[in-house]
Amino acid sequence: MKEIIISAKRVKKELTWLMICFGIAFLMNITAIILYHTPWVEAFTQMGYVVTITLCLYLLLWVIRLVCALFGSLWKRNAK
Amino acid sequence: MSKKTEKQTDLGLRQFIKDLGYLSGGAALLATTPWLQSFTPEKAKEIQSEKARIALIGTGSRGQYHIHNLLPMKHAEIVALCDIYAPNLKEAARLCPKAKKYTDYRKMLESPDIDGVVIATPLNWHAPMVIDALSAGKHVFCEKSMALTMDQCKAIYDASRKTDKVLYFCMQRLFDEKYIKGMQMIHSGLIGDVVGLRCHWFRNHDWRRPVPSAALERQINWRLYRQSSAGLMTELASHQLEVCNWAMHRIPRSVVGLGDIVHWKDGREVYDSVSLTYRYGNGVKITYESLISNKYNGMEDQVLGSKGTMNLATGMYFLEGEDASANSGIEQLLSQIGNKVFAAVPAAGSSWRPETQKAYKPHYIVEGKYHINDGLSMIGAVKDGSDEILSAFCQACITGEKGKDIVEEAYCATMLCLLGNQAMEEQRKIDFPDEYKIPYMKFE
Repeated sequence: MKEIIISAKRVKKELTWLMICFGIAFLMNITAIILYHTPWVEAFTQMGYVVTITLCLYLLLWVIRLVCALFGSLWKRNAK
Repeated sequence: MSKKTEKQTDLGLRQFIKDLGYLSGGAALLATTPWLQSFTPEKAKEIQSEKARIALIGTGSRGQYHIHNLLPMKHAEIVALCDIYAPNLKEAARLCPKAKKYTDYRKMLESPDIDGVVIATPLNWHAPMVIDALSAGKHVFCEKSMALTMDQCKAIYDASRKTDKVLYFCMQRLFDEKYIKGMQMIHSGLIGDVVGLRCHWFRNHDWRRPVPSAALERQINWRLYRQSSAGLMTELASHQLEVCNWAMHRIPRSVVGLGDIVHWKDGREVYDSVSLTYRYGNGVKITYESLISNKYNGMEDQVLGSKGTMNLATGMYFLEGEDASANSGIEQLLSQIGNKVFAAVPAAGSSWRPETQKAYKPHYIVEGKYHINDGLSMIGAVKDGSDEILSAFCQACITGEKGKDIVEEAYCATMLCLLGNQAMEEQRKIDFPDEYKIPYMKFE
C-alpha cells in the first residue's frame, strides 16, 4: 500500500486556508450583528454557525482548488 | 363605613403621576395629560379631612360598579340614590343603607345636601340630566358617551362653558397609567411618526339582559334601540376614538363606514357589526372595527408608528426590527442570502412576497403589575382608570377645580361616534360639520 506523506508545509498551508475561512465567517457574523442590530453577545453565542460556515467555505474552497488543479494539470499536459 | 375598610383608592395613580415627573417641572406630563393637573399627591393632602356628598342617578350594573368604587374612598360619601327601576334601587340601597332614595331625579337635585351627581343612565338621558344637574348647581360626573345626538352634545358643551361647576365624563383611559405612560412614549417619538391607528373591539355576546316582563324590554335593553342608544359606536368606540385623538393631538376631518346587523337578528335596531375609516388632515387614518359575534381578536388600541407599534390596551409596545421569532443576526443574514439565491420572484422583486405577521419582541409600557381590560365585561374592568377618574371628580367636588380638557375630549370622541353612525346610515363620506366645531379641535 502506498504511503501518503503530508508535509509540514502542506499542513501549514491548509491551516492558513482554514484560518482565512474562519476569519470570513467571523466577519460575516459581526456584519450580521451590525446589520440587524442584534446583541453583541452573538459574536460568541453564534460560534456554532461560524464554525459551520468556516467548514462550508473550506469545503467550497477545496472544491475550487481541486477544479483549478485539474485544469492546471490538463493545461500542463496539453502544453507538453 | 369602618375606618379599617377606608382607603385612598387612587394612591397608585397619584404616585405614578409623581414618578412621571410632575413634581420636578412635569412639563411633558402636562402637555399630554392636562387633566391630571388637579390630581397630584399634594391635592390629596388638601382634601384629607373633607368628604364630597355624592348622589347617584342610575343604579344599574354600571351605577353599582361606581358605588363599589365610591364606598372605599375617604373623600366621598354616597348620600342619595335615584332610579325608576325598583329592583336596582333596592340593590343599591342595600349597598348604601344611609343614602336617601329617590325615583325622580329632579326632586333629588333640589336637595341642598348634595355636592355632586354621578349619572349612569341610558344614553338618551345624559343630556337632560347633565344640564338639569348643572343648572341645579351640582357638580356632575356622567358616564360616557356624552349624549345621543350632536345637538345634545353641543348643548352640554355650551352648558359646561357657562357654569362654574365641575363636569366630568367617564373617559377612564385618560386616567389609566398604561395609557398615560404610553402616550408620553408616543409623543416623545419612541415609535417614530404616527402613520396609522388601528382599533377594534370584538365580543361574542348578544348584549342582552334578562327582562322580567316584555313591557320593560326597551327600558332594560336600552342599548339595542335607537331611541336610547347609538350602539357600538357610543358604547365601545368612544373610548378608542378618544385614544386616537389623544395620540394624534388632532381630530379626523372625515369618516366613511358600513354598519349592519349581521348575526343578532333579534329585533334590535343598532348594528352588531361596524367597520369605519376616519381620516385625519395629514392622511393618517383610524381603522375601526367592532363585532359582537366573534371575539377572536379581542379589544386593542394600536398606534402604528414608523419605528414601532404601541398597543395601549394590552400595555405593550413593539419596535420595528425586533422580530421575536428570529433569529440571530447570522441566521437573518443567511436567510436573506438564501432568499436572494433561491426565491425566484419574477418582475416585482421581494415586494411581491407575502408578509405574514411575525411575533415581535414585546416591551411593557409600565413595568410590574398592571391590569388589562379584556373588553369582555359589559359593566367595567378592574383598575382601568374608572375609579381614579371618579376619585378625581370627588376631589373636584370639594375643591371646585375643573378637570382640564375632559369635557372637550368627551365631546370630540362622542361627536366622532355620532358622525360614524351618520356615515354608516347614509353610506357616504361625512366631513366634520362646521356648526359642531369647537375651539379645542385641531384638524391640521
